Amino acid sequence: MKIHYATALAAVGLVAVHILMRLTQGFAESLEYENVVANYQFLPYAGLLEIILILLSIHGFNGLRVILLELKQGRVYEKAVSYGCLAAMIALIAYGSRTIFMVNMGMT
Amino acid sequence: MNPHDEHKEGIGGMANPRRYGIERVAYWLMRLTGLGLLGYFIAHIYETSNILRGRVGWEEFLDLTQTTEGHIFLTLVIGMCVFHTVNGIRVMLGHGGIGVGKPARPDYPYIPASQNTRHKIGIYSAIVLAAIAMVYGMAVMFGE
Repeated sequence: MKIHYATALAAVGLVAVHILMRLTQGFAESLEYENVVANYQFLPYAGLLEIILILLSIHGFNGLRVILLELKQGRVYEKAVSYGCLAAMIALIAYGSRTIFMVNMGMT
Repeated sequence: MNPHDEHKEGIGGMANPRRYGIERVAYWLMRLTGLGLLGYFIAHIYETSNILRGRVGWEEFLDLTQTTEGHIFLTLVIGMCVFHTVNGIRVMLGHGGIGVGKPARPDYPYIPASQNTRHKIGIYSAIVLAAIAMVYGMAVMFGE
């Protein structure tokens, strides 16, 4: 549970910054194309998004793993759930990172 | 007597939210909001990847989400997020031994020391704060 709690606490602070970025500009205005691209191309903010992506993916898929292991037990089932969640977590991080890196490098 | 009789309700009996008070309701809400937020997170990652389709692709997708239904959905996400966070902090404090009371001999009527007023207030606070955040979120989204 240490990883689960550590990722949760770290994510709470960083997601708060992410949400405040939407509110300081005005919600609709902050979602305009130029603003979103500018956010991604601002390196510290892109780094923040990457860290949030990793933290929430670990927290989310570990939480899903815990829920699934609570429902049913068994050697094969537990391995399938653990590796399945790990694979899904890696896939989501890879997909999200692709967006962050490509927009940051101006490949839109 | 069949040894399984006392457990015949299985997971359904354990998970019954009407039998074990607000703690079991919080248990369910924690899991449901967790699954809901994971679903939203995956959808959000997909949604933001539309920026790679350029201005037209981004605005096309934004038109789908910036609707009344989209704002109501986002309001639910805000509520789930706040409840999950506040209740999560309560659970973490409980695991750390904070607010669960001192160990004592179990006497009739065997009420667990951990299911005390402090933690009940924590659960109700999480629900109230989630409701306040949802109202604020609606004011921001529908106020523009």
